[in-house]
Amino acid sequence: MDHLVLEVGTALVLIAAAAILANRLKLSIIPVMIVLGMLLGPHMPTIGILNLHFTESAYIIEFLGRMGVLFLLFYLGLEFSVNKLVKSGRSIIFGGSLYVIVNFLLGLLYGYFAGFPLYETLIISGLFAVSSSAIVAKVLLDLKRTGNTETELILGMILFDDIFLAVFLSVMSGLLLGGGASAGESIVSVLISITYMLIFFIVARKGASLFNKLLNITSNETFIIVVFAAMFFVAGFSETLHVAEAIGALLFGLVLSETEHSERIEHMVVPFRDFLGAIFFFSFGLSINPFSLGDAALLALIAALLTLISSVMVGIISGRNAGLSHKASLNIGLTMMARGEFSIIIANLGVAAGLSEFLKPLSAVYVLALAILGPLLTKQSKSIYHVLNKFFKWIPPKPITRTHNKVI
Amino acid sequence: MDNIKESELPGIGKKYRIETKAGEKLAIIIHDDGLRELYYFQEDDPDESIPVATLSDKESRQLAAIIGGMVYQPKALETIEMALDDLIIEWIKIEPYFKCINKTIVELQVRQQTGANILAILGKNKKRISAGPDDKILADTTLIIVGERSQIKMVKSLLLNGQIS
Repeated sequence: MDHLVLEVGTALVLIAAAAILANRLKLSIIPVMIVLGMLLGPHMPTIGILNLHFTESAYIIEFLGRMGVLFLLFYLGLEFSVNKLVKSGRSIIFGGSLYVIVNFLLGLLYGYFAGFPLYETLIISGLFAVSSSAIVAKVLLDLKRTGNTETELILGMILFDDIFLAVFLSVMSGLLLGGGASAGESIVSVLISITYMLIFFIVARKGASLFNKLLNITSNETFIIVVFAAMFFVAGFSETLHVAEAIGALLFGLVLSETEHSERIEHMVVPFRDFLGAIFFFSFGLSINPFSLGDAALLALIAALLTLISSVMVGIISGRNAGLSHKASLNIGLTMMARGEFSIIIANLGVAAGLSEFLKPLSAVYVLALAILGPLLTKQSKSIYHVLNKFFKWIPPKPITRTHNKVI
Repeated sequence: MDNIKESELPGIGKKYRIETKAGEKLAIIIHDDGLRELYYFQEDDPDESIPVATLSDKESRQLAAIIGGMVYQPKALETIEMALDDLIIEWIKIEPYFKCINKTIVELQVRQQTGANILAILGKNKKRISAGPDDKILADTTLIIVGERSQIKMVKSLLLNGQIS
């Protein structure tokens, strides 16, 4: 008998329960969905008519999750604005590039010493370098820190991180999906994907008025069908040029971000992104057997610790460079160390392209650790500051003068 | 204005920082989804923003109307103007030193001299909603006058000096 809808329905009920729990615990849904997915799967018993193996529906859940990735990256592209980036100040450019470069290099070193092959090491470096925009924004809102002095810098650096992600994914998909056996072939496929990306950038700049006209559709129904159809087609088409479908969606979002319809599209995408995104994290967890975590867990925790340290250090350097106090600068690294949706997407891309399955449990534990630890430590930033202040003597504890922040 | 600084919060919205004349620092965040957040900074800790309030779009519009004086006029501002195209309705408080005190509207020849019309005279105990020519203007009452801006100006000078200067 076909229990497909029941299976998907059961999965959704569990996802919903986990989402409620995450909300109660003030956690991002990303780690919660991954854990839920890992707990379920073929190792679970069947309870009456409820099948918790999700074997029959695995491909549907996986496909819904795949759509979730498209929407996650399509939205990222929509949010992104070249103008905002051009306007961002010197300290954002400094902080943003320092964050990406230091963490990427750290990832390369880590991958080398942990004995991973080249491509796997590159994927791991990507995990190290890209913060989770979703968790960072959530933490800032939950802790009511949007008014703080360091918030502009944090969000600017995240924006920078996102561009790096776009370029990184394009290059990696060129490398991995191009299937180039020799170095020459690899270079050609990377060049193809970079050219493909540049074409989208140019279309975004020059074609805005044309898209404004084409999308001038009053009916919401027609509008959403047209936009989503185009997004899916562009994403799928990109795959034929060995550019990951997710990148296709991101680049198409980028094109639409320059039009006057971007806000309307954003409003329509958000519910799809949230719903299908949750299924993606769940389906990612589902593909991991928790009993096989063993080796991956230890390596992942070391990676998480390294990321924590480098994130805090780079945060302090960037903050001080921007003229912020030590206290505000510490917040930068603590907030930005969270890893989430993009790290999972990067690892997923790697595995989909035939790299070691080991990347899945590795990235899952890595993301779990940082997605939970990051917000927790950020919340305790005051105490952490006082502890660090005792060691580094940034400011003498007393007397506290009104202008102490200008003095140091 | 120089004391308001605007900055972008990519992915969240816009941030306005305000430093008041009294030296207080505020930050207002306008989220892309319409939510507003109000923060206050303590003088001795400029890094720590203290959340004051989170407002919905509707609530912030109401608050803005109150702060902007569109709903409720503070007592200190006695004259209120309402512009209906060129026509203005104005409240004028009659201070004890005004020369028009104890004169009737017909004696002052308000309408003949200025073209504006006194609609009502509001006293502490007495209210004349439709003021007639024989109504006396007393100290500490408030007149409601309708007319064009130039006419209202003439009425003010008539009330103050007893004649149009």
